Amino acid sequence: MTDQTIVTASKQCPIAFDHHAPEHATRWAEVFKQMREENPRPWSENYGGFWVASKYDDILNIAQRPQSFNSCKRFDPATGEAEGGVTIPPFPSPRTVPSETESPEWDGVRKFLNNRFSPKAVDRYRDRARHLTTALIDRFIETGTFDVVDDLTNPLPALVTMEMFGFPLDEWPIFADAIHKMVYVPRDDPEFAEAIKGVMHFRTRVAEELDLRRQSPRDDLLSYFAAGQIDGQPLDLELILNISVNILAGGVDTTTALTSNTMVYLSRHPEKRQQLIDQPELLPRACEEFVRYFTPLQGLARTAKEDVNLNGWQFEKGDRILLAYGSANRDPQVFDDPEEVKLDRYPNRHIAFGAGMHRCLGSFLARMMFQTMVSEVLKRLPDFQVEEEGLRPYTSVGNVNGWIHIPATFTPGPKLGAVIA
Amino acid sequence: MKVRIKTELCQGHAMCWLACPDVFRLSDDDGHAYVTDETVPPQFEDSVEMAERSCPERAIEIS
Repeated sequence: MTDQTIVTASKQCPIAFDHHAPEHATRWAEVFKQMREENPRPWSENYGGFWVASKYDDILNIAQRPQSFNSCKRFDPATGEAEGGVTIPPFPSPRTVPSETESPEWDGVRKFLNNRFSPKAVDRYRDRARHLTTALIDRFIETGTFDVVDDLTNPLPALVTMEMFGFPLDEWPIFADAIHKMVYVPRDDPEFAEAIKGVMHFRTRVAEELDLRRQSPRDDLLSYFAAGQIDGQPLDLELILNISVNILAGGVDTTTALTSNTMVYLSRHPEKRQQLIDQPELLPRACEEFVRYFTPLQGLARTAKEDVNLNGWQFEKGDRILLAYGSANRDPQVFDDPEEVKLDRYPNRHIAFGAGMHRCLGSFLARMMFQTMVSEVLKRLPDFQVEEEGLRPYTSVGNVNGWIHIPATFTPGPKLGAVIA
Repeated sequence: MKVRIKTELCQGHAMCWLACPDVFRLSDDDGHAYVTDETVPPQFEDSVEMAERSCPERAIEIS
């Protein structure tokens, strides 16, 4: 459906939009609602200038046209300067692969990775995810207090990801911490530099473990990378490192954010929590609804490869565009009562996992980890209450819509005897 | 009812498979969806319609 009558702002009339600003973080849903209604294709002068795609249809159309709008990133390790890529502004680090690649390079890499993250492959980790969740909960279940983020939603995805890679589990805090900080800490904060260092340390560790896997392969991702071939060639080290960072960055903090947001929501809406306790079969649909409503990965970017007109929207070659998935998922043209959480919403064609060729590789893994964490919480500490005064959300939701701290209390329960191993 | 997947649009979200695993299968190769038979048995017509409405890529065509 084309709509040539959609208002398209021009670069001569920029708006003061900054997706990383604290003001945006506190009211992003209202900001996007107003944008969709009054000025759905605005231009912002921040970060060198970029368009904001706020309507579902526009975002889908752009995401489905990689030949016109691509994701590639150039990075100069000597200067630390980055250009292009899928974040605005780009991270001062090497390109992630396959997110920041295009065809034909993308094709072989994505095909190589697809069946390690398929629904069947993910199912193999379900028992381990449950075991690790049980072990994490065991660490605090007798005390009656915990921090939802530090004690559950941050460690679990990091642990499962480390396990899939084949890393020793005790290294998880370093990696989880680095990605966690990288997505919300302001660039000029010294902690941001520390976070980038943490990512570089992860790359060093991948390189070290790869050598060990070449000698003694196991059934893990590192062995798969070490022994694998793409388009008839073994993977070189730089490619493996860029793929590894993509997997880490894509799947750890996002799943943390989804689950953190859901925990706060369930605490504040006990009737919805009770609905999930009474009808556990609702969990898969509820999962999709929470993914839609919170859209943990709020938006990613594209660069126009050429001058192109898309349904009345004129782009110039080189234009940067922010695909605001968080806005798409509240678009009333696609979702009835989009600002409401309906646990049984169906169908639910949200694009929180993206659309087009770069659709989230880890979507099935994310769903599995989320559902595991939520079902174990509802089983073992169903009456948890977050402490409103201690809540600390991310100060920026320009990348991930997440939480820093969520202190909570609950009626203590028994350990089940699981340990992180 | 007949159902067809526009393979150039399918990206393997698997929402169709979740909606109606009897009609939609996922390829072992790349996780993309396919149908073994374009003719939909009557008892699955409702779920196939929901599958069409669940596809973010609008890759399912019902006729």
